[in-house]
Amino acid sequence: MVKKVLVVLVILVVAALILFNVGEKTGVLKKGRLKIGMVTDAGTIDDKSFNQGTWEGVKQAGEDLGLEIKYLKPAGTTEADYMKEIGNLYDAGFKFIVCPGFKFETAIFQAQDKYPDAKFVIIDGNPHAGDYVPVVKENTVSIFFAEHESGFVAGVATALQLKEGELGYIGGMEIPAVQKFNWGFQQGVKYANENLGTKMVIRPENVIYQGSFDNVAAGQQLAAQMYDRGVKAIFAAAGGVGIGAINEAKSRMKAGEEVWVIGVDVDQYAEGIYDGEKSIILTSAMKQIKKATYDMIKFETEGKFPGGQILTFDATNDGVGIPENNPNLSAAVESKVAEVYAKLKSGEIVVADVQGDLIR
Amino acid sequence: MEYVVEMLKIRKEFPGVVANDDITLQLKPGEIHALLGENGAGKSTLMSILFGLYQPDAGMIKVRGQEVKINDPNVANELGIGMVHQHFKLVHNFTVTENIMLGMEMTKGLVINHTAAAEKIRELSKRYGLNVDPDAKIEDISVGMQQRVEIMKMLYRDAEVLIFDEPTSVLTPQEINDLIGIMRNLAKEGKSIILITHKLKEIKAIADRCTVIRRGRVVGTVEVASTSEEEMARMMVGREIRFAVEKTQREAGAVVLQVENLSALNNRKVMGLKNFSLQVRAGEILGLAGVEGNGQAELVEVITGLRKAEDGRVMLKGTDITNLSVRERIRMGMSHIPSDRHKHGLILDYTLEENMILKIYDEPPYAEKGLLNRETIRKHTERVMQEFDVRSGQGSLALARSLSGGNQQKAIVGREIDIDPDLLIAVQPTRGLDVGAIEYIHKRIVEQRDKGKAVLLVSLELDEILTLSDRIAVIYNGELIGIVEAQATNEQEIGLMMAGVQRGETA
Amino acid sequence: MKKEMRKEYTIALVAVGLGLLAGALLMLVTGNNPILGFIYLISGGLMNIERIGNTLATATPLIFTGLSVAFAFKTGLFNIGGAGQMLIGGLCATVIGLTLNWPKPLLLTVIIIASALGGALWGLVPGWLKAKFNVHEVVCTIMMNWIAYWSVYYIIPAYFKGAYLETESRRIPEAASLKVGWLTDLFRGSYINLGFFLAIIAVVVIAYILERTTLGYELKAVGLNRYAAEYAGIQSNRNIILSMMIAGACAGLGGAAFYVGYASNMQIGVLPSQGFDGVAVSLLGANSPWGVFMAAIFFGVLHSGKGFMNAMTQVPPEIADSIIATIIYFSATSVLIEKYWGRLQKRLAEKEKTGPPLVAEEEIKEKVGGAS
Repeated sequence: MVKKVLVVLVILVVAALILFNVGEKTGVLKKGRLKIGMVTDAGTIDDKSFNQGTWEGVKQAGEDLGLEIKYLKPAGTTEADYMKEIGNLYDAGFKFIVCPGFKFETAIFQAQDKYPDAKFVIIDGNPHAGDYVPVVKENTVSIFFAEHESGFVAGVATALQLKEGELGYIGGMEIPAVQKFNWGFQQGVKYANENLGTKMVIRPENVIYQGSFDNVAAGQQLAAQMYDRGVKAIFAAAGGVGIGAINEAKSRMKAGEEVWVIGVDVDQYAEGIYDGEKSIILTSAMKQIKKATYDMIKFETEGKFPGGQILTFDATNDGVGIPENNPNLSAAVESKVAEVYAKLKSGEIVVADVQGDLIR
Repeated sequence: MEYVVEMLKIRKEFPGVVANDDITLQLKPGEIHALLGENGAGKSTLMSILFGLYQPDAGMIKVRGQEVKINDPNVANELGIGMVHQHFKLVHNFTVTENIMLGMEMTKGLVINHTAAAEKIRELSKRYGLNVDPDAKIEDISVGMQQRVEIMKMLYRDAEVLIFDEPTSVLTPQEINDLIGIMRNLAKEGKSIILITHKLKEIKAIADRCTVIRRGRVVGTVEVASTSEEEMARMMVGREIRFAVEKTQREAGAVVLQVENLSALNNRKVMGLKNFSLQVRAGEILGLAGVEGNGQAELVEVITGLRKAEDGRVMLKGTDITNLSVRERIRMGMSHIPSDRHKHGLILDYTLEENMILKIYDEPPYAEKGLLNRETIRKHTERVMQEFDVRSGQGSLALARSLSGGNQQKAIVGREIDIDPDLLIAVQPTRGLDVGAIEYIHKRIVEQRDKGKAVLLVSLELDEILTLSDRIAVIYNGELIGIVEAQATNEQEIGLMMAGVQRGETA
Repeated sequence: MKKEMRKEYTIALVAVGLGLLAGALLMLVTGNNPILGFIYLISGGLMNIERIGNTLATATPLIFTGLSVAFAFKTGLFNIGGAGQMLIGGLCATVIGLTLNWPKPLLLTVIIIASALGGALWGLVPGWLKAKFNVHEVVCTIMMNWIAYWSVYYIIPAYFKGAYLETESRRIPEAASLKVGWLTDLFRGSYINLGFFLAIIAVVVIAYILERTTLGYELKAVGLNRYAAEYAGIQSNRNIILSMMIAGACAGLGGAAFYVGYASNMQIGVLPSQGFDGVAVSLLGANSPWGVFMAAIFFGVLHSGKGFMNAMTQVPPEIADSIIATIIYFSATSVLIEKYWGRLQKRLAEKEKTGPPLVAEEEIKEKVGGAS
C-alpha cells in the first residue's frame, strides 16, 4: 500500500517538475498587449443578465480596441474559487480583470494586494476584508448601480401602460441589488398612482424572493400562481428564476391571456418573443453593465483608469433606466416616462434605497 | 459415425498446474456417459474446453467426426452442445416460456410470438416427458421443475449433446427418480449425455459408460454394468473407500436440545412449522429426514435464532433460549453447519482466515480490546486447516471463493466442530461433495457423537441419514410424522413417512 | 492479497488513462491540442507551491466525501447523502465558530467534534430507517440532503447572516478557521488548511478500522454477505446504523474542512457538489481508503488545473467543464473495467500462459457452475 502511494506521488512530482518549466515558458511568451479577463459569477455566461452584460462590454471593448479577451468559470462561489480563477487569469497574462457581483468583494480585496500590477473592476461590490469596510486600492475600481432608480422608472412605465390591476414581484436571493429593484419598483408604482392617475395594486403575497437565481421551474411555478391570482405583470429580478416567469407568460400569451413580465438588468425584450415580433416583455429595468464595463476598459487603454474610486451609475449619468425602444409601451407612456426620468436626473424626485414601509 | 463428440489427448496447463493431461473422452450417440472424479480432478476444466470457455494447449476436439475449434460458448451451441448448469440461470419473475425463449425470441414482426413458442415447448415437454408448464412463473415452481426448464432450454435450441453438471445435488429423492427417467428418455430419442457427478449410485443407475479422471489424467473408461461401485470409487480416489461408517453402539445421555410445540412462519408468511417437538440427547445423532421444503429449514432457523418462533419454546441444556440472540446461542455451545455454504456458511470474499473466525472474531485471543490479532488468527486457521484437511493454493490467505466446494465445506465443518459445541446442527453437510470428502466429514460427525456431544443431522440424502443416525425423525408439511430407531427401520419405511404416511398406517 | 492490490491499482490507472483519452478526444473535437491542454491542466494544478496547496485544499473535502461513500459501501450501503452530511457538518462548525469565543486550539477541537457528530446524525437517520423499516438508503439520503439544504437556508439568514447579505453567514473568525498562518505562508497564500491533515488522519483511522478492528470485520462481513453475518450472530442492523454514522461523520468533517477551512463563510442555496463527486472518488479509489486519497488528489489536480488550462487555451469554460466531467466519470468506470478484467486476463493467459490463473478459474466457476 505504501509502495502504491509512493509510486503515484513520485509520478505526480516528476510530472509537476517537467511541467513547471513548460508553464513558466508559456507564461513568459504571452506578454505585451493588454489582455482582458473576466471571472463569471454563479450562473452561465449567457444568463441574459449580469454575466452576459459584463461579458458583452468586455467583448465590445475587445473588438473596438483589438484586445485579447477571456472569461473563466469558477468551480464554486467561495472566495477560494474566485481567487483561483483570478490567479489563473493573472498567470496567463490577463492583467485587467473584471468581476461581476458582490460575491467577489473579499476575493478582490486580496487580489488587489496580491497582484499589484493587475487592474480590477468589481461590479456591484466593494473590496473588503470581510468586515464591510471598503478598501479600494489604486489598481481597483468599484462600480455600483442605482437599482432602486431603475426599478422606479420601470414601475412608473408599467403603471402608466397598464393603468389599473395587480402587479407582482419575483426576486432571486434577498441581496441588496435585488431588494433595491423591488423597493424602487414599488415606489415607482406608488408615484404613478399618486401623481399620474393610475390604479395599480401590489399585494404582499405577490412580492416573493424565490431564494435562488437558477431554479427555472420554481420561477415558472411562482409566476403561474401570481397570474392565477389575477396579476397582470410581474417584475422578475431573478436571473434564471425570471426566465421561468418569462416562459410562463409566453405560454399564457399564446393561449390568449394577457400577461406581462418586466425584465431586469439588460433589455430582455428578445427573451420574451413568443410570436414573430411580439414579446411578453413590457419593458426592462436596466443597469448599463455593458457600458460601465466598456468604459472602464477604454479608460485603461487611454491611461485614465479611475483606480481607487467607487463609481455609482444612476440616472444622472444615464447608468440606469428602461430601454430606448419599448415596442410594448405606447409613445405617450414613453414620453411621460421620459419626463419622470428627467425629474429623477434633476433630483426633483428622490427614490429611497431602503425598505422603509414598503412590502418586504 | 461411431462417436458424436471426441476429445482427444486434451492438455490444459495453468501456471504451476496441469489441469488436464492427455485426456481422451469419447461420447457415443445416444449414450449416457458419466464423468467421475474428485474435486479438482479436472472435470470442470475439461467441460469448459468442450463448452468453449477455454482453449486446449494440445489435443483436438471432433464433433460428428469433424475437427472443430470451439472458441466460445456460442460456437458450442451452434454445434449442438448444451449445458445444464448446477446453478440455474433463470429469470425468476419471467414465465417458463419467456425464460426458454430468452436470447432467441420467435417474432411476428416486432411482436414476440409467445403462442408459437409455448406450443413448441408443450410439444417437446410431451415428447421427452418433461412435464413443464409453459405459463408458470419460475419463482412459483419447484427446483426440480426449474431444472427441467433448463433441460428444455437446451432442447429448444436443438442441442444434441447435453452436459449435466451435478444435476441431482439440488433434488429430492423423488425428483431424482424423475430426472433419471427423463435422461433415459433423452438417450432413447438419440440425445447424447455427459453426466458430471460424484454419486456412484446414480452412475450405476443410469450411465452406460463412465470415464474416471484423477489429478488431471484419465484413470480409465469402464462399462458401468460390469463395474462395481467400489471399483469406481477406488479408481476415483486411488484407494479403498469404506462406505459404511464405523460406529459403535453408545448409550445416549442427558437431553441437550429440547424443542417443544414449536411453530413458525415460513418465508411466504404461512405456518411452515407446526407444533413441532423433538429431543436430541448427548452422545446421539438424531437424523431429520424429509423432502426439501417441508419445514426443515424453518426448524433449524428457529433453533439457531435466525427465525422467530410464533409459538412453543427451544431449550438448550435446560435453559430456555427461545428469545436469545444468535450470538448468545453460539456462546452457549451451539454450532451450525448451514445447508447453503455460499449463502450462510462463508463470506466468499473474505479470506479463509477471516472465515475461520466468523463466530469467534471478537473473543480473546483472536481479538483484544476490539483489535484483531492477525497472528493468532493465522495460527488458528492453519491448525484447523491441517486438522480438517482443508486444501488451498494460497494457504490461509486464499479467498474462500477460490476454494473448491469440498474444501469450502471442510473449512466450515472444521470451524463449527473446532468450537467444541455441545450441540452440532449439521444441515446437508455433504451436499455436492465427492465420496472422499463425504467419508471424511461423516467420520468427524460421528466423532462428535462419540465424544458425547449431541448432533442434529438434517439431510435430504436418505443414505446419509440412515448410515449416520441413531434415531431418525421424519418431518412432513411442517409436522413431525414420527421418530424411529435407525436400526429398526429401512429405506422404504422412511420413504413412506417422508411422503406423509404415518408409521403403522400401511402395515 | 498483494495480487488483488496490484490488480485494483492497475484497474484504476487504466480507468484514469481511459478518462484522459476521452478528455483528449473531446479537446480534439473542439479543435484544441490535447497534449497542450493536458500540460496546462496539470501545470495548473501543480505548477508552483501555491497551486499545489490549492490542489490539496480542493482535494480535502473530496477525500472526506470519498471516504464516506467508500466506508458505507463496505457495509453494502450506497451513501449518496454526502452533500447533506457535509452541509450539516459545515453548519455545526459555522454555528460554533460564530458563537463561541474560545482560544483557537479548544475551539477547533469542538468544531471538529461537532461537525463529525452533525454528519453522523445525518447518517444515523437513513441508517436507522434502513435497519428498522428497510427504507432504501439512497432515497433517504437524498431526502436528507434537501433537509440539510433547507435547514441551512433557514438557519444562516435567521441567526448568522452577514451585515449586508442575507445569503451568507458572517465571516468565520480567525480563531474558528482551519486555515493557519504558517501553512498558508508555507504554500504562498494558498487555501490549504488543517483540514488536509485531518483528512490524512481520517484516511489512516478508517483504514485501521477496516483492516484491524473487530468493528471493521463486522461491517465488512455485513456488506459482503449479510446472511452469513447474521448466521454468525453479527447484528447487521446495528452495523448498518453504525456504518452510516461513521460515513456521515466523515462527510461531516468534510463539511468543516470546506466551510471553515477552504471557504471563509457559509453560503445558502448551494448543495456542495463534493458530496456527489465523492461517489466518483470512491469508485476510482476502489473503495479503499488510500485509493480514495489518491483519487481525490487526482480530482483535485483536475479541478484546480482546469482554470489555467482554460486561460491558456481557446477551450471555452463550458467545454472545459465537460472535459473534466468526462475524465472524472470515465475514471469512475473502473467497476466496468474490472468486469472485463477477468476476460482480458484470461485472453492474456491463453496467449502467454503466464497470467495468474486465479481470476480465470473464478470466471469459469461462475460460468460452468463449479462442476468439480
